[in-house]
Amino acid sequence: MARTELRDALARADRASMQLLMGAGMALLSYVFVAVLLFTVVASLIVIGLGVLPETVLLLRRMAGAKRRQVGRWSGAEIREAYTPLTGTLVERVRKAVKDPGTYRDLRWLVVHFVYGLLLLYAALLLWVIGALVDGVWCALLGRRAVVLPLIVRLADLDTRWSTALLKPSPEAERNAELAERVEELTVTRAGAVAAHGAELRRIERDLHDGTQARLVSLSMRVGLARRAYDKQIAAGPGEAPPDPDVVRKLLADAQDQAEEALTELRHVVRGIHPPILTDRGLVGAVRALAAGSGLDVTVRDDGVEDGPRAPAAVEAAAYFVVAEALTNAAKHSGARRAAVELARGAAGLRLHVSDEGSGGADESGGTGLLGMRRRVAALDGTMEVVSPAGGPTRIGVELPCVW
Amino acid sequence: MRVVIAEDNALLREGLVLLLTSVGHEVAAVAATGPEVLPALLEHRPDVAVLDVRMPPGFRDEGLRAALAARERLPELPVLVLSQYVEETYAAELLGAGASGVGYLLKDRVGRVDEFLDALERVAAGGTALDPEVVTELLTRRGTDPLDSLTPREREALHLMAEGRDNATIGALMSISDRAVSKHIGNVFLKLGLPPSDSGHRRVLAVLAYLNKA
Repeated sequence: MARTELRDALARADRASMQLLMGAGMALLSYVFVAVLLFTVVASLIVIGLGVLPETVLLLRRMAGAKRRQVGRWSGAEIREAYTPLTGTLVERVRKAVKDPGTYRDLRWLVVHFVYGLLLLYAALLLWVIGALVDGVWCALLGRRAVVLPLIVRLADLDTRWSTALLKPSPEAERNAELAERVEELTVTRAGAVAAHGAELRRIERDLHDGTQARLVSLSMRVGLARRAYDKQIAAGPGEAPPDPDVVRKLLADAQDQAEEALTELRHVVRGIHPPILTDRGLVGAVRALAAGSGLDVTVRDDGVEDGPRAPAAVEAAAYFVVAEALTNAAKHSGARRAAVELARGAAGLRLHVSDEGSGGADESGGTGLLGMRRRVAALDGTMEVVSPAGGPTRIGVELPCVW
Repeated sequence: MRVVIAEDNALLREGLVLLLTSVGHEVAAVAATGPEVLPALLEHRPDVAVLDVRMPPGFRDEGLRAALAARERLPELPVLVLSQYVEETYAAELLGAGASGVGYLLKDRVGRVDEFLDALERVAAGGTALDPEVVTELLTRRGTDPLDSLTPREREALHLMAEGRDNATIGALMSISDRAVSKHIGNVFLKLGLPPSDSGHRRVLAVLAYLNKA
C-alpha cells in the first residue's frame, strides 16, 4: 500500500516537474526574446525597426499564449486572451501594438516569469533530491505518507497562480474582448437575418406576382371581353347575329371564380406575412386556435405571455409560424396523438417549446419544414433546438430575443 | 393579324389567346419559356409579338431580352411587351432601337379590351404604345426645367403624345378639337425647344428623347 502511495506521489511530482521544466524552458526562451525585443526597440528609435515591431509583438503574444495554454492545462481553467487585433496599414499596426495594454502586461509577465520560471525549477530539483532521500525512507520503510514530493506539485500550482495573475487580461480588456466576441456573433447572425429576410421578401413578391396579380389580370380580361360582348349585343343591328349569351355568361362565371381564387391566394400570402388572428387574439389565443385545429390533443401552457405588454409583431408571427409548422409535422409525420405547447415570457425574450408523443426521428434535411422554421427564427436572431431521437419523442425549443 | 404570344402563366396565356382569337386575330404560336421565344418569332414572323417580361427559367427579364434580340434580327418586327410592373429602364432599352412598332404596357391594361386592342394594332402598324405609368415616371423624375413652364393642358397633351397617341385620339381623350390639339402640341414643342415634327412615331421619339435626357 505504501508502495502505491509512493508511486502516486512520484507520478504527481513527475508531472509537476515537467510543467516546471516547460516553464523554465520558456523562461530561457524569453531570454532570447528579450534580445530580439531590445534590438527591435533600438531599431525602432532609428525608424527601421518599426517594420518588425508588430511582428515582434505578435511573437510576444504567441509566447504568452503558449504559457496560457500550458497553465490552463495544469489548472483546468482557461485564461482568456484579449488583444487588439493588429490590422490595417503598417503605421496602424505599429500604433495598435504600442497602444494595446496587453502588450505591456505580456512584457511584465515576460520579465517576472524569467525569474520565477527558473527559480521554481531549481526549487523543484532541490526537492527531488531531498524527496528521494526523505520520502524514500519515510514511505518505503516507515509506511508513512510522502511529505516532500507533494511540495513539487505545490510549486507547479504556484507557477499557475502567478502566471494566471500576470497573464489574465485587465477586467476592462476582458469586457472589451467579451463585447468584441458578441459583436462578431451579432454580425454573423445579422447577416443571416438579412439573408433570411431577403428570401422572405422574394417569396412574398413571387407569390403575389405569379398568383394574385396574374389572377386579377386574367379576371379583368374576362370582364373586359364580357363587356365588349354586351356592347356588341346592344349595338347589333338587324340581320347581325348577337353574341352568344352563354359565352358571355361563361366569361362572367370564370371572372368570378378568379376573383375568389385571387382572394384565397391573398389570404394565404397575408397569413404568411402576419396571421390576422394574431392581431385579433394575441399570440396565446392564436396558438390555442392552432392547437384546436391541429387534429391532435394539444395542451397549451402560457407562462406570463398573455400578461403585460405584447411581443413585437415579427416575434409573434415567427412564434406562431413555428408552432403551426411543429404541430403540422407532429400530426402528419410523428404518429402522435397528443402534443404540448409551452409559451413563456423570459427576461431576454419569448421562449417556446413544442413537444409531441410521437415516433421522433425528425430530420432537418428531410424537408419537413424544420429548415423553414429555423430560417424564420434565425431572421430574428433567435435560436432553435430540435431533439428528436428515433423512437421519439420530438421536442422543439425556440428562443426569440425581444424587448417587452 | 398573326400574333405570337410569350407568357409563362397558363391562366394569362389562355386569356390572351381567348381575347385575341375572339376578336378575329390568329395566334400563330405560344411560348411558355424564355428560350422558346426567339425561335418562335423567327419561324412565324408574326405581324406583332406579345411578350411577357419575366419568364422561366430565370424568372428575370427573359422576355425583354428575347424582344431585344428579335428586334436585332428582325428590325421591323413589332413587339408589345407586357409586364406586371413597369420599369423606366426597360422602356428606355426597348425604345433604344427606335420607337417604331414598340409597345410597353402594364398587364392591367389588357382588361380594357378595346384600348388594349387599339394599342396592339397601333404597334403592329409601326406606332408606339407606352404605358401612362412609364410616361408619368419619365415626367416626374425630372427636376426643374422647361417642363415646368407647360400649362396643365399642355402637360396632358405631352403625356398622351409620349404614350404614342395620334392627334385624333388626343383630341378625343381631352375632349377638344383637332385645332386645339395642334395648338397645345405646337406650344409644347416651342417651350421645350424641339423641332416641330409630324404626328408619326418620329414625334414620339423626339418627345421621349427629350424626357430621357438627364
